Amino acid sequence: MRAYQDMVFSTASRLTGSDAQAEDIAQEVFIRAYERFADLGNSPTAGGWLKTVATNLSLNYLNRHRKRWRLFSEMHSAQDEEDSPQIEWEVPDTLLEDLGSEQRRQWVDSVLHQLPDHQRIPLVLYHFEELSYQEIAAKLQVSLTKVKTDIFRGRAALLPLLQARGDSHEAMDI
Amino acid sequence: MRNDEKLEQVMNEALRGLPPRPAPDSLESRVLAEIERRSMLVWWRRSFVHWPGAARAAFVLLNVALVAATFVNGVAGLVGGRSLTEFAAMVLMWLRPFLAVLSSVGALTPVLLNAMPSGWLYACAAVGVLYATLFGLSAVAYRTLYLRPSMAGNS
Repeated sequence: MRAYQDMVFSTASRLTGSDAQAEDIAQEVFIRAYERFADLGNSPTAGGWLKTVATNLSLNYLNRHRKRWRLFSEMHSAQDEEDSPQIEWEVPDTLLEDLGSEQRRQWVDSVLHQLPDHQRIPLVLYHFEELSYQEIAAKLQVSLTKVKTDIFRGRAALLPLLQARGDSHEAMDI
Repeated sequence: MRNDEKLEQVMNEALRGLPPRPAPDSLESRVLAEIERRSMLVWWRRSFVHWPGAARAAFVLLNVALVAATFVNGVAGLVGGRSLTEFAAMVLMWLRPFLAVLSSVGALTPVLLNAMPSGWLYACAAVGVLYATLFGLSAVAYRTLYLRPSMAGNS
């Protein structure tokens, strides 16, 4: 369990945006793993299995939560989905290169939580869980166009937040 | 390279391969405590997949038998010794009161609409318009205040 608990917790936390919920999900993941210990014990696929279960349980939780808000949150017009948003600022060649990996991780996790669910979730599935656009669309049961638009907008919203780290990462070090 | 492609590449480099977040120290003890709690439960209070094989088989057989008995008794009781035509007539007889109620409602609606003062109709329309307006305002407020907190922070 110790070998995988950080990975499972990270997956759930980045997807749900809530540490408390991530801890509950991680607990459930390890209980399910314990119940299947005979199959998973020394299996080389145990890590992948744990990650998949953590992702699915997180998405189940988000789906239940989303149903309460679906009426309002999905009232997008077709135009809204098809519009190709433009980036109005210069994209830098690198990001956070001057930070160590742990500092970078802290900063990324802190700003990731500021994105709205509909941008953070596909962004995390794409950049952290390394799923394709098609896989994300299938998992979230939304159109491929919406996935691409949300990920693009998520990146565009995340960029200035990541760049702003120059002003405050010293404060985080204290 | 287009700006959006460059953004994807820069984000990939910044986000992929980051170390995982450390799990809270309490996670391991929580998991162990929950496993112990579940193991203390008597077998019939656990989830069905953890019941002993014999108990699961007996439960499934019992339920199949109950469903079959209910179905057979129900059909036998309804049909009895009747022919298919008699059975259909009996079903129609049961439906007759419902059909009568539906037909009465259908006849009553135009009478009510004619008898209703026009002020009431305007009031109903006003309530509908108010409801739609509040719905629209709520949707705009939700999308502005809840869905785009990061955008608000950027400006």
